[in-house]
Amino acid sequence: MTALTLPELVGELLTRHPDAVIVSTCGYTSRDLFNAADRPGNLYLVGSMGMAAPIALGLALARPGRQVVALDGDGSLLMNLGVLPLVAAADAGILHVVVDNGMHESTGGQATVQRADFTALALAAGYRTAVRVDDACGLRAAELDVAPAMLHAIIGPRTDGVGRRVTHTPQQIVQRVRGQVTPPSVLMEASR
Amino acid sequence: MRAAPAGTTTAHTLLHSLLDHGYGLATGVPCSLLTGAFRLLEHPGDDRRLAGLRYVPAPREDSAIGVASGAAVAGERAFVLMQNSGLGYSLNVITSFNLIYDVPVLLVVSWRGHDGNDAVEHDVIGRELLNLLDLFRLPYTVLDHEDVAGSVTAVVDDMDRERRCGVLIVREGI
Repeated sequence: MTALTLPELVGELLTRHPDAVIVSTCGYTSRDLFNAADRPGNLYLVGSMGMAAPIALGLALARPGRQVVALDGDGSLLMNLGVLPLVAAADAGILHVVVDNGMHESTGGQATVQRADFTALALAAGYRTAVRVDDACGLRAAELDVAPAMLHAIIGPRTDGVGRRVTHTPQQIVQRVRGQVTPPSVLMEASR
Repeated sequence: MRAAPAGTTTAHTLLHSLLDHGYGLATGVPCSLLTGAFRLLEHPGDDRRLAGLRYVPAPREDSAIGVASGAAVAGERAFVLMQNSGLGYSLNVITSFNLIYDVPVLLVVSWRGHDGNDAVEHDVIGRELLNLLDLFRLPYTVLDHEDVAGSVTAVVDDMDRERRCGVLIVREGI
């Protein structure tokens, strides 16, 4: 069995949801997403650890029908587990992906408090779907259509160095995402 | 028109003023000083405008700001209700998201401990609330119960001009 990588994971997500807005948690997760597939629909968080899911939820509530993905980390979700009942209760179209390497890699590889069963936690909180995968086969087979859904993806150790930091400014990131989620009628109105 | 139930008039006017300014999403964590506002958000009754205001209860204030911020990124207006104690939890998201990405959201913050005669847990944050807002240069307005709509307009205008989270401070219960 070959371990999953974040680029593989992102590739599968974008194959399924090419128009998704992806809100990525801070540190290496945002950097990895940027280096794997930079696109206007990516809302890279550079700080605000634990806020990927709440911000994704706000976007989903503002744009019902739009696929919104929260790309969380195991450390980020453990920091703010309260997002699980928040997301479940709001009953929005969220796909909550937890990239789990078992450590706070961005700060030097320290262990998280514990390896957690995020699918059990999500289901207990009220998510309608929760799937754990640790290889490409499982990822491709994962059925995640009933939201709110969690994909708990166990990722293998990094084999290459981490890529460059996100080069867009925070303001540019917001403008790009806003351009992706604003209905065309509103854009036309604004340009008049 | 049926009179608003006793004690909820200010809250009713406040929420309608926010609707007038285009706010469509409310979130937050309850405070006893904001009971009337939360009651209306949970039970808008036959008030169709209020019923159109989406309310998302949050487990903690920073997560509420996250939800409001996501809506603001999409171009919608959202506000957060909280007790001043919740500002402590919120400083991380305010300083590393809202003030960095220039995504302001409106905070409606109760002021427990404002006169030093409240429960002891409110003493420190109550004494320092305005200093805290000044420190992070968050524009604020203390709600004038005689001119609720004017207070809302003032804080929203400040927020739009400065592109920083505006704070509407609620000192007496609504």
